[in-house]
Amino acid sequence: MLKLRFHGRGGQGAKVASRITGTAAFLEGCHVQDFPLYGAERRGAPISAFTRISRGTIMERGVIPNPDITIVMDQTLLSDPQAEPLAGLKKNGVVFINTPDSPAQVKDEYNIDAQVVTLDITNIGLDMLGSPIISTLAGAVASRIVGIGEESLKNAVEKELSKIITDQKLIAKNIEAAIYCFRTLELLKIKTIQTTQRQDSVIRMPFEPAKISTPSINTTASSLLKRTGNWRLFKPFWDHDVCTKCMICVTRCPEGCISLNEQGFPVADYEHCKGCMICAEECPKKGIKAVRESGSDSVEVMGT
Amino acid sequence: MKKEMLTGNTAAAWGVRLAEIDYIPAFPITPQTEIIETLSGWISEGAMDARFVTMDSEHSMVAAAGAASATGVRVFTATSSQGLMYGFEMLYTVAGWRVPLVMINVSRGLSSPITLGPDHNDILAARDSGFLQIHCENCQEVLDSVLMAYRLAEDERVLLPVFVNLDGFYLSFTREPVEIPDMDEVRRFLPSYKPEHAFFNANRPMAQGVAVLGGAYYSYFKYQMHLASQKALDVYKEICRDFEKEFGRKYDAIEEYRLEDAEYVLIMTNSFSTMGKAAVNRARDQGIKAGLLRLRLLRPFPEEDIRNAIREKKSVGVIDQNISVGKGGILYSEVAGCLYNEKQRPFLISFIGGLGGKDISPQEFEFIFGQLIKGAGAEKVESPHLLYTQEEWEEMQKLKEIAGKE
Ligand code: SF4
Ligand code: SF4
Repeated sequence: MLKLRFHGRGGQGAKVASRITGTAAFLEGCHVQDFPLYGAERRGAPISAFTRISRGTIMERGVIPNPDITIVMDQTLLSDPQAEPLAGLKKNGVVFINTPDSPAQVKDEYNIDAQVVTLDITNIGLDMLGSPIISTLAGAVASRIVGIGEESLKNAVEKELSKIITDQKLIAKNIEAAIYCFRTLELLKIKTIQTTQRQDSVIRMPFEPAKISTPSINTTASSLLKRTGNWRLFKPFWDHDVCTKCMICVTRCPEGCISLNEQGFPVADYEHCKGCMICAEECPKKGIKAVRESGSDSVEVMGT
Repeated sequence: MKKEMLTGNTAAAWGVRLAEIDYIPAFPITPQTEIIETLSGWISEGAMDARFVTMDSEHSMVAAAGAASATGVRVFTATSSQGLMYGFEMLYTVAGWRVPLVMINVSRGLSSPITLGPDHNDILAARDSGFLQIHCENCQEVLDSVLMAYRLAEDERVLLPVFVNLDGFYLSFTREPVEIPDMDEVRRFLPSYKPEHAFFNANRPMAQGVAVLGGAYYSYFKYQMHLASQKALDVYKEICRDFEKEFGRKYDAIEEYRLEDAEYVLIMTNSFSTMGKAAVNRARDQGIKAGLLRLRLLRPFPEEDIRNAIREKKSVGVIDQNISVGKGGILYSEVAGCLYNEKQRPFLISFIGGLGGKDISPQEFEFIFGQLIKGAGAEKVESPHLLYTQEEWEEMQKLKEIAGKE
């Protein structure tokens, strides 16, 4: 059996990626199981999805703590203590990371033992699809690593996307982009190892006083302390020359992180702006531009 | 100390007054309304120094009670029946917060059909919520239980909310003589609340919708509630001893009535137990070795006490004033469950009685004892047996005729 774990952010398409891989393997005649796991259904929050592929019956369920293959759709997740995408990765497993960096760079930076594969699928998505929704691309990458045939991948993308979008042109573009990613990656040799049961013992839980055993220990403060600024692919940039101070962006921001400066113009709290670009979408004057984040300096400007 | 004629509701209100409550979020529902009416009257007269807020629903009421309790003040609220159902979602939430509020439930049958008479499907639906449950037989016990409930809830070893349950009409509107203790006696037994677990603070904004993603965390918090609830059994017994010392009235997790040498035992809860005790006396007069066990603490469930009290009896009838549709009596299952591993255990029979406040007549109790005597050794017993008389059946036929149905 091959076990895959996908890590993405809400809205990026980790669930669809796991389904595309699942369907592609299904079309190859395998037994497959796929499912997503998310917390609060919130754009930008870390989510994961899972795919199990086997030639025989799958006698497992639930999360995959020790994947053979890990697909990291968003590099920022590598430093998110809530996501921990590298946790439990097998020594001779494979990790794919969506980044412009080379495997050697990434291996070094994050201290990874396993085989590393990289490709900047966000850029491919922006180029070929015009959006950073990279579900099909991640599905293609995963399918390639698993060793699935191109035809099955194509059919899987078509099948899965038809369930969520009706625009045939967009589906065709997705297939094209998926195949591009698929062909760009070299075929890998993966050794699948039978699951080894973890050595662990069952304990008897002791009674602990309420001071340390209630959920309130888990609440240090409100969202003030939880920064979401590292979730961004784009950040909003205001053109105060065209802004009419209508306040629509302020009220539409799901994070409530837009306030007004002394002149009454909207400004964002970038510590909490997660880059969903709803503000830009809603501005009647198109006065908010999406600026691509790349590392410390934000350069590339996308028209909205 | 003074003695007065009080309804169960006003006895409850007296308990709350003597416990020197800080905050009461309230929403009226029959037959509980008199409790909060009395309290709001006292507060407006200045006899009580507490903040009283009427809420828009029981859901908000329980949420407000939990949140206020989390700030470290002493909180009381009360509801009944459908109102309890409406606040149900929040019961689990505030119990999970481990806040020591006390809530009275005045038991009343659940719709549909609508009735005002009591049974215990309302309070027993909350048995898994994390709230502890004390069930009362008479008006004195209602007052006393409120005081004990705060001691129990606020104990550092427990910190769980507590329900005090009393039957609608049979107690809520029934007057009987009740001793009202003096304030200084009460203060000795129940000092003011010194919260160590007050985690809500206006100076430090925080969200209490605590999320844990992962079953291992969730299991830890839930199981700790269970352990705390079990701890509460010992704590409760300490409290009973203190209470007896201070006020001279003795309570325990269970009440044993003529049980010592009994062979045939009734298990009951709440106000109908009084009628059960009378039935025991009548049976004794006829030479039947009858006894009664009243469950006073339902959560935590005092398994050990129950086992010790009935292990060697010949047969036991559990009278459930509730019905788990498709299964039968809830308490029957619980009692049966706690006897399962006993080598020597009594024959158990399940009876459903008093639903929606339907009386249990002396004939019905006689029937029960007949079954218990016959039952020991019998091969097949109808389970559960609904207590219903010929006369009641005929009344029901009349209703059907009026409705035009044969
Ligand atoms: S400021 Fe704009 S991009 Fe940032 S979170 Fe708010 S709506 Fe989204
Ligand atoms: S929605 Fe556009 S025009 Fe309106 S306040 Fe925001 S930036 Fe200005």
